[in-house]
Amino acid sequence: MMADLKYAFRMLLKAPAFASIAILTLALGIGANTAIFSLIHDLFLRGLPFKDPSRIVRIYGEAKERDLKQLPFSVPKFWHYRDGQTVFSSIAADWGNGYILTGLGEPAQVLGENVTANYFDLLGIHPILGRNFLQQEEMRDDVGLVTENFWRKRLGSDPGVIGRSIALNGVATTIIGVLPDLPISWFGRDTEIFIVKPFENANATRDRLMRGYSFMRCIGRLKPGITMQQAQSTMPALEQSYRAQHPETADCTWTSVLVSATEDVTGDLRPAFVTLLIAVGAVLMIACSNVANLLLVRFSGRRREIALRMALGANRRNVVRLFVLESASVSVIAGIIGLCLALWIVDLVPKIAGDNVPLEGGIRLHWAVLVFTLLLSLLTGLAMGCYPAWQSSRADLIEGLKESNRTMSASRGQHRFRRGLVSAQVALSMVLLAAAAMLASSFVRLSNQETGFRSDHVWAAGIGLPAGRYPDPASRARFAQRLVEEVQASPGVEVAATVDAVPLSGNYSQTPYARTDGNPLPVNQRPLGLTRSISPGYFRALRIPLLAGREFTERDGADGPLVVILSSSTAKRLFPNENPLGKQLLFGVDNGNGLVAEVVGVVGDVRSRELAKTNDVEFYRPWPQRSVSFFNVIVRTSMNPEAAASMVRAALDRIDKEMPILQPNTLDTIVAQSLGQRRLTMGLLGAFAEDVLRLVVRQGMDPVLIGLGFGLVAIFGTGRFLTAQLYQISPHNPMLLALTATGLAIAALLACLIPARRATSIDPIQALRSE
Amino acid sequence: MIRLHNIERSYPLGRGQMFYVLRDIDLDIAAGDFVSVMGPSGAGKSTLLHILGMHDHGWTGEYFFDETAVHLLKAKERATLRNEQVGFVFQQYHLLDDLTVYENLDIPLSYRHYSKGERAALVADALDRFQIVGKKDLYPRQLSGGQQQLVGVARAIIASPKLLLADEPTGNLHSSQGEEIMELFRRLNEEGVTIVQVTHSEKNASYGKRIIQLRDGWIV
Ligand SMILES: Nc1ncnc2c1ncn2[C@@H]1O[C@H](COP(=O)(O)OP(=O)(O)OP(=O)(O)O)[C@@H](O)[C@H]1O
Ligand SMILES: [Mg+2]
Repeated sequence: MMADLKYAFRMLLKAPAFASIAILTLALGIGANTAIFSLIHDLFLRGLPFKDPSRIVRIYGEAKERDLKQLPFSVPKFWHYRDGQTVFSSIAADWGNGYILTGLGEPAQVLGENVTANYFDLLGIHPILGRNFLQQEEMRDDVGLVTENFWRKRLGSDPGVIGRSIALNGVATTIIGVLPDLPISWFGRDTEIFIVKPFENANATRDRLMRGYSFMRCIGRLKPGITMQQAQSTMPALEQSYRAQHPETADCTWTSVLVSATEDVTGDLRPAFVTLLIAVGAVLMIACSNVANLLLVRFSGRRREIALRMALGANRRNVVRLFVLESASVSVIAGIIGLCLALWIVDLVPKIAGDNVPLEGGIRLHWAVLVFTLLLSLLTGLAMGCYPAWQSSRADLIEGLKESNRTMSASRGQHRFRRGLVSAQVALSMVLLAAAAMLASSFVRLSNQETGFRSDHVWAAGIGLPAGRYPDPASRARFAQRLVEEVQASPGVEVAATVDAVPLSGNYSQTPYARTDGNPLPVNQRPLGLTRSISPGYFRALRIPLLAGREFTERDGADGPLVVILSSSTAKRLFPNENPLGKQLLFGVDNGNGLVAEVVGVVGDVRSRELAKTNDVEFYRPWPQRSVSFFNVIVRTSMNPEAAASMVRAALDRIDKEMPILQPNTLDTIVAQSLGQRRLTMGLLGAFAEDVLRLVVRQGMDPVLIGLGFGLVAIFGTGRFLTAQLYQISPHNPMLLALTATGLAIAALLACLIPARRATSIDPIQALRSE
Repeated sequence: MIRLHNIERSYPLGRGQMFYVLRDIDLDIAAGDFVSVMGPSGAGKSTLLHILGMHDHGWTGEYFFDETAVHLLKAKERATLRNEQVGFVFQQYHLLDDLTVYENLDIPLSYRHYSKGERAALVADALDRFQIVGKKDLYPRQLSGGQQQLVGVARAIIASPKLLLADEPTGNLHSSQGEEIMELFRRLNEEGVTIVQVTHSEKNASYGKRIIQLRDGWIV
């Protein structure tokens, strides 16, 4: 056995070209599979770290007829469902908010959540120190839970943390527990604190809350024995009773939809990972068939050796073992390299994907994956080694002995088999390449897509206004205006402005709207329109063109007449063949019918939600007339946009020293990050395809042509998997297919020429000597 | 020990025609015999030896090894019998190119039931006996033709076969070395090993107890 192993390594070293190609091909296949499998394990299979996560569901509102999905809960609806439902052992709600943390060094902006008291008990998360919220604390006590990370970083792992007081938005809050670090796929990346005042919101008056202002995410834990379907079937009764008892609410017309927690977390990621999974599967198949082919060539050149060993006493098992050992050592080495490769990819992925994929920091290669890879590589080795070894050991002894080492007269069957392998590889590579080309081309198109605004030289950061000090729109408006003025006066600043949500940042808000003329629908049947609250400089800061009317001015204040600016598509949609200026629209739910605003301007369209889509409707309202406790300051500079940070900081210090800034970034980065998931898929697929191509096309020309044919057919078969991820490109794009095919053919031609040249330049003495 | 009856070996010539390499071979070899097979090139000497050595099974007729009917055996049983009883010196040496001299000698032992210690002792013994200790870590391509032949002979007898088949074992050797091999064969024969050797040399043939002349596939 040891001797055989030694021999196997000697043989590999003797033909380093063979060994390295085989090992690299297989390493790529194994590495890619391990990496993607690890990612998928992390994202989809591992499950959320809750107690019995499969029993946890999210409850969403939905208004199909208005194309509204995944809508949050309002306070009255949550109460109604909480008290009326029978299928959950409990239901809970949370909503995210920013808090200013003071009293621990520099004031800091932290992300937190307002949760119902039962929230963590429902999930089955237990504090590592202290306790969870108590029911009687809900809406009453200023108590908080912090994450382990918060405790370690901001509180220096203080063992006496329980009972310690921190100031959140100026409210002294007593820490009652420390939670283990929480899954970012559920809570987001930076959530650090939790308080227990879920049913009040500084962004809405009590009247508005009770009219169905929806902002809470609702979850439930299914009672034992109750299935999702059974629970879902009880929803209509709740919907109806809510509608009957709260007919005035904006959300009483919505239906309720249950989504399993896992699906909720991973839903949008599925297409990308299915694509990647198919791709790495193809890579592995290519790798295996490539290695099989290489081994076959190599082993069939060793028939004399096999015959001789058998004449000297080896049985078939001995021979097979010899060859399997050789191919298995290829697999094992490949497995090790592949593992390194996987570690590298897995490390790289979160960096490429940015915030678009909720991966925990430092994804681990799980032991299951490790075993999976090792088995995979060994199995590959076994399969690859067995066939050629079996083929060879069938050979006649006497014939084999007569064979010289040099003549590799492969049988015709072997030849056909090998050509089949190459064709299959080429077909698969072609599919991979075409997919990569299409994704890349989509990506490039998206990257070059006109957004409708200019992101260069713009810097943005978030600011949260504590409700205690800025309780009403007027005080918030004064703060924002003051800040804009201060920043505007700084050197190098072209325009400063504020907006409630930066385009393409993933944040947005929607408002019900209607024309005042005709018969406006009841509020709760009106469509929702994307709405941004902005300061006067916003359009200039982002270079969004004003097409008609005027921009907002300082006079569009909290007490002035309500005004609105429309995007150009909105104007065409709501006022076809009419001049929109001076027309009136109803916004929001106030008074039960919304408030009337007058159209004062029309601006260019902006792709503010997704690069891939235009917005049918987008409204702009003056910040003083529609403000919440959180906004972004954006600064267009004539220099490096990062420099804006210190200027905004200095301006803030002059206005309110206890006001930290949150998530500062350049707008260019934000736009680029919005493509993170696509970049991930495209980048990985492209890299796999490129490497595979290099390895595959070294093996002769005519199988390549056959493979191209099959590849074309396969692309037509698999194209639909991709469609969802393509942009302005059909999966059957003839131009791309032709390019892929030509590229592959040229690569193959080159690859064939090189070994052919090498074969003709063998030293004859050398060749004779070994006969 | 060996009884051949009506052994024929042929190859297809194409168009339904057969080329007979061996015809109607009847041959008895008693245990302890030392037979020399002679004849011109192409007479079928190597073919006969490969049949005796059970490397070839494309023949017809009856072959009894001791009491065993070889013509009735399955390939696997034939291999077992061969491993237990037969040593073979190949005309073209047939060493394994990627194994050292030491490893080449060890190969037949590794496929039989020998302990590690026995193997090391037997290989050391053979290296010593053929005076190739200094070459033990060299590869075949680093040896001369004669040296390779010595290794081939050493390998054939290392597992103490009862029947030794040697296809021109001295073809490439200096006459004095050739004599040493023949002396070795004689000693082995005296110890009870049955030997069949193919040779072109009258002198070598004289070491044997009898000579079989082969011509165009017939024993004459
Ligand atoms: N595979 C084969 N197909 C056709 N004829 C063959 C084959 N193998 C051997 N022969 C023929 O069988 C005959 C005997 O060959 P063999 O090798 O037994 O001769 P030999 O007596 O050992 O000769 P030499 O003294 O040169 O070694 C030759 O004429 C050869 O052409
Ligand atoms: Mg011969």
